[in-house]
Amino acid sequence: MSQDELLKNEQIEKILSPHPLSFMKLQSLCIFLMVWGVLIGWLVNFSGFKGLFITNEWFPILVWGLVLLIVGIVASLLTIRWSIFFLYLGVFAGGLGLILWQGWNDISSVFIPFYSLGISILGFLIVEGYRRSHKYIISNFRIVFKGGIITKEERTLRYDKITDINSKQGILGQIFGFGTIIPISQSGFGLGADSSFAAGGVQVGEKKVKLLGIFGGGREVQTPRTRSYYELHGVHPYKEVKNIVEKLVQGNVLTQYQQEQVEVQKEQVDVQKEQIDIQKQMRDLLKKQPETKKEKKTEEEQ
Amino acid sequence: MTGSEVDIIIFAPLAPIFGVLLFWFIQLLFIESQKYLLSKIWDKHKPLFRFTNFLGIFFQTVCHALGYTVTKSGISTFYISVNYGKVAPKKEKKGIFEWLSNSFLFIGPFFIPSSLLLICLFFLITNDFDISPAVNYTFAEGMINFGTNLHVFSESFFSFLISIDLLHPVHLGFLLLLIFLGMGIRPSYIGEEKQEKIDMIYDLKNIKSHILSKPLYLIILFLFAYVFFYVSLLFKQSWYVAIFSILGWLSIIAIIALVITQVILLLIKITDEIPSPWKLIVYLNIPVSYVLIRLLFHFFPIKFSNVFSLFLTIISTIFIVFLLLKYKTNKFKTKTDMKQLKKVKEVPHEPRRIIKK
Repeated sequence: MSQDELLKNEQIEKILSPHPLSFMKLQSLCIFLMVWGVLIGWLVNFSGFKGLFITNEWFPILVWGLVLLIVGIVASLLTIRWSIFFLYLGVFAGGLGLILWQGWNDISSVFIPFYSLGISILGFLIVEGYRRSHKYIISNFRIVFKGGIITKEERTLRYDKITDINSKQGILGQIFGFGTIIPISQSGFGLGADSSFAAGGVQVGEKKVKLLGIFGGGREVQTPRTRSYYELHGVHPYKEVKNIVEKLVQGNVLTQYQQEQVEVQKEQVDVQKEQIDIQKQMRDLLKKQPETKKEKKTEEEQ
Repeated sequence: MTGSEVDIIIFAPLAPIFGVLLFWFIQLLFIESQKYLLSKIWDKHKPLFRFTNFLGIFFQTVCHALGYTVTKSGISTFYISVNYGKVAPKKEKKGIFEWLSNSFLFIGPFFIPSSLLLICLFFLITNDFDISPAVNYTFAEGMINFGTNLHVFSESFFSFLISIDLLHPVHLGFLLLLIFLGMGIRPSYIGEEKQEKIDMIYDLKNIKSHILSKPLYLIILFLFAYVFFYVSLLFKQSWYVAIFSILGWLSIIAIIALVITQVILLLIKITDEIPSPWKLIVYLNIPVSYVLIRLLFHFFPIKFSNVFSLFLTIISTIFIVFLLLKYKTNKFKTKTDMKQLKKVKEVPHEPRRIIKK
């Protein structure tokens, strides 16, 4: 963050970026691709099942692609993210396209492991680039979130606008000391929704009567979730950062107790003002007293 | 059947129990030595320490949950973190059920993780899980049978380990599992900070107080063991020794896992003394040298190529560590100027010994 971007009297407390292991969900996609590529290479070339794959040159490609797509579907269903399936579909289509274009179907047993390794290394590099694009600046006034490889996203959040802070630390985070802090704003920025839907179909009869019933139900739960460039994603050291953010939020927001204190202080100021007024009146009265005494004396003398 | 009646009736059933206790005690000693090594590298490798803590707590919690499942208490809470684990039952059962579920918590972490590896070994080692069919009538025969069973298993297990093929995904997976198991066999809690009083004696005291809290259950357990022994004798089968032999196998697996883990921890401790970019060579050497040697033996095949590959990898790693320690550190004190001592001798009033403040 350059000096021009800083506000008047603004001081930077910390500049953070996500921990290298904080994008493990994305990295694990590459790890699976790598492991499965090596495993299929071993199965086709060295294992006891070698004979099965020799019979047909398309068989290794079919097994590789099928497992990749099944895992893609399972992972997509579990994480409710169809992008995983489409990613693996793209990897499979790319590999198949290369084999057909170059006529490498006879060397598929060598091509598949190397292709998988190459794609997974490329994936690791993209994830690393994406991680490095993130920057979180914690100043005494606000938190600035920056991220994105091609499209640069930026969010600025003032501490007095933060209503809630959600923090989470997975097992890897607990081991390596990083975690995610989601500041939720008054507008609800930082909240996502988990929704589930159940459906079932029934078909009665085969030729004459066909009855189809679909039973469904939906449920939505508000949960703290946002993009990695709108939250303090996988920051290290987690506990220290959390404490800093908590303190800055507390320092910028009046708590109930503090509000009561301010009201009490206001009342005290009013009372003091009243006392000052009374004192003034008293002084005026005291000033008047000697004058009346003098008047009395002169009257007696006369 | 040559033993006396007292030996057959009273002492013979105790033979395999003593055998298991002996191996379990050796296991405890290795755990203690592992904890010592971990405490030595704690400052520099906090994530590794937290990881081993997590594994230990994971095994404990799983064993405790298994205890509640076996006793049909159900599980209402199951929580694991890096330094804390909690399992709560659905129904609070008292008496024998509570004692059994606590037994799973105290003794389970020693045997249950190893049983997972034993199952894997059944698929990896074929035809070598023979149990001696000889029926034992006396204490000595019981010990011999128990020892024979353990010897046969150890032989096949060791020969598998030294000829392990690290380029075989299943073998590699087994080795990783063995290392994880070795890091996790630690029933007593260490936590984020080192605690001096929690050691082997602490574990033993816990187990002793748990067992002695309900002496009646212990007597019933022994009665069961005796009845089982007599039934085995009646049918002229070696069932009784076989059961305890399996417990002995589990101990052997756990001890081997602990030994391998300690070698890794020792390597980490030694490489800590080597400056940072150079120490990477040690860790890179392990996979690189293994793959290169395997490739060499692939083109020039010899007998026992797996054994030689593993052996040469270990030797090359030791050699590289030695070279790096010699040339990149002053571990062997070869860089200290020894002539300085002469200067001390020349000054008469200088103290000969340097007393540490």
